[in-house]
Amino acid sequence: MKVLVSGAGGFLGRDVVERLLARGHRVRAIVRPASASPKWHSDVEIFYADLRNSEKLESAFDGIDAVLHLAAATSGNEDVQFSSSVVATERFLEAMANSLVKRLVHVSSLVVYDWHRVNGIMSENNSLLANPYEMGGYTLAKVWQERVVAKYAKAHSWDLTIMRPGFIWGRRHAEIAGMGRHVGRLYLMYGPWTRLPLSHVTNCADCLVAAVERPSAVGEIFNVIDSDDVRVWRYVREYKNRTRQPGVLIPVPYRFGLALAHLARLVSRRLFGAKGQLPSLLIPSRYESQFKPIRFSTRKLREKLAWSPPLSFDACLDLTYGQQ
Amino acid sequence: MKSVKSVVIGCGAIAREHLTALKEIGDAEVVGICDISEAKAEAAAERFAIKKWSTDYQRLLQETRPNLVHITTPPATHFPIARTCLASGLNVLCEKPITAEYQDFIKLKSLAAENSCMLIENHNIRFHSSIERIQSLINSGSFGEVLEVQIMVHVNLFGSGSPYVDENVPHFGLALRGGVIGDFLTHIACLTHLFVGSPVDLRTIWAKRGGKSPLPADEFRGLVKGERATAYVNFSGNAQPSGFWVRVVGTKMQAETNLYEPPRIAFRRFRSQQVAVASLIDGLAEGLDVIKGTTAAFWRKLAGTNRYDGLPQFLSRVYQAFVREEAQPIPLDDIDAIAHLVDSFTKPELKL
Repeated sequence: MKVLVSGAGGFLGRDVVERLLARGHRVRAIVRPASASPKWHSDVEIFYADLRNSEKLESAFDGIDAVLHLAAATSGNEDVQFSSSVVATERFLEAMANSLVKRLVHVSSLVVYDWHRVNGIMSENNSLLANPYEMGGYTLAKVWQERVVAKYAKAHSWDLTIMRPGFIWGRRHAEIAGMGRHVGRLYLMYGPWTRLPLSHVTNCADCLVAAVERPSAVGEIFNVIDSDDVRVWRYVREYKNRTRQPGVLIPVPYRFGLALAHLARLVSRRLFGAKGQLPSLLIPSRYESQFKPIRFSTRKLREKLAWSPPLSFDACLDLTYGQQ
Repeated sequence: MKSVKSVVIGCGAIAREHLTALKEIGDAEVVGICDISEAKAEAAAERFAIKKWSTDYQRLLQETRPNLVHITTPPATHFPIARTCLASGLNVLCEKPITAEYQDFIKLKSLAAENSCMLIENHNIRFHSSIERIQSLINSGSFGEVLEVQIMVHVNLFGSGSPYVDENVPHFGLALRGGVIGDFLTHIACLTHLFVGSPVDLRTIWAKRGGKSPLPADEFRGLVKGERATAYVNFSGNAQPSGFWVRVVGTKMQAETNLYEPPRIAFRRFRSQQVAVASLIDGLAEGLDVIKGTTAAFWRKLAGTNRYDGLPQFLSRVYQAFVREEAQPIPLDDIDAIAHLVDSFTKPELKL
């Protein structure tokens, strides 16, 4: 297959391209014009474009069999993230609509779910956030990005697969929101026994390539996680020890933090009404989306996609923190 | 009391500030919103419960026939949109800078006069609580005679992830004279005009220190001889920390404020007491002001107050003028003088 990869120069994109090449596919990688092109092990056709403003994106789709859409912002303010993720996606898909390509695998995120309404175990059947505006810029952008993708796919009858990874981690990207907060020498863990929806970048890339290859993925949505066996305490301890950072692990009971957030919201509503503002950690919905102690189902990945992670957690640790 | 029907064109960060402020104005009814991005328009409509959204502003204006149009698009698009609105007899509230070229503003001004329309530029800085406080002390005579104003804007143009030097997506400010500095000149000109009057003479210095950047300049200095006093104005894209300092010097007292920080002002007054006692009194007064300002700013943040201090007041005054059928809160001739000053700042013949 010849696969077009957007966001190929990013943290996940580099591994995805590498995995596609390893599986014998040909790759056209979209890389921002002013960014350095990654060094891949085999030949990759580079298409220099910034999806936010490049003209003539149509030619990127010439001769392509499938599109893997990864491009999104993971930092910056709300407007930067909305432009880089949502507006860029609109422009990208508008160009795709003028091509003959029908196969699209879109990479979304677990943040699009309404975590407050998840009871016990999260699966692909859970409901999505209806009001994303009290969440952060990343969540807002991912929710709208998925809405845009779904609208275009429906309008043009594309074969769409939506992949929703959990916390993607790897070398130089081991700090994840689910760890809690690192304040000076203190590691505050909100719910130390909470299970983390981890997806190591190498495993995640393998899963995305499986979705591109397998016809069973068409028309489906998958939550992408390796397993939910690793808990916050272990992940933070490994991070602290392997990066040799000094500090003390401080467990904060999940329910204590959540009660504090609810109390803060109550006081804010009493004093300022609906327009009152609070720090991110004291907004109950944001707190829940990072720390809620639930389980994460991998059943659909195993049964529908016939996928399981090639690397164990210990192997991922070695890849992440070991010598390059 | 009648309500003012308005439409917002452009759904970026500043539009959100307008819409947040409008929610607090009882007379305002936003009937439509527009952006070239469908998702941006639809998201803004959903977030602020606005019934109509569109990617075609002309069709939206025809369908909604608003009393007032907010133009919050990038500066290069202000002129054609404002011209279309004014030609259709619609009142316009435009983000700064109102036009990229002064001659275009003159065309809009005459079009507004022909069609008896309001044309107002967003000079919210003039309604910043610190500026209003200083202005009221000037009017009460506390400053004595104002001799000089110093306006210094420091913005880190080269920080990590800075949109000003993003070579993948050129910043909209690059379409302005002076590059991204041009986007700050309106505020500088507005305050200069407020404190020293129309310029009689001026000289400028433009320089570029960041050699490889796409910016035509990253440093600007100006010396203005005004009708009433002089002004030293400055923009630096390299100096740190970032801030927007305004210092007003009078024959009886001085005041200094940073408009990017909590609303507080440091005053220095002429005192007849011994120097040690005077500095103790000034220090205590300044300390008290810092505590009051910081507490007020923290409280306002928790209360979800608009992050542009003067914007709610500015918009409220515009809508009030509408409802009461009064003159616009900033006369068009003042907007003209400010736009002319912005133009003068970039004239090659006035550069040293």
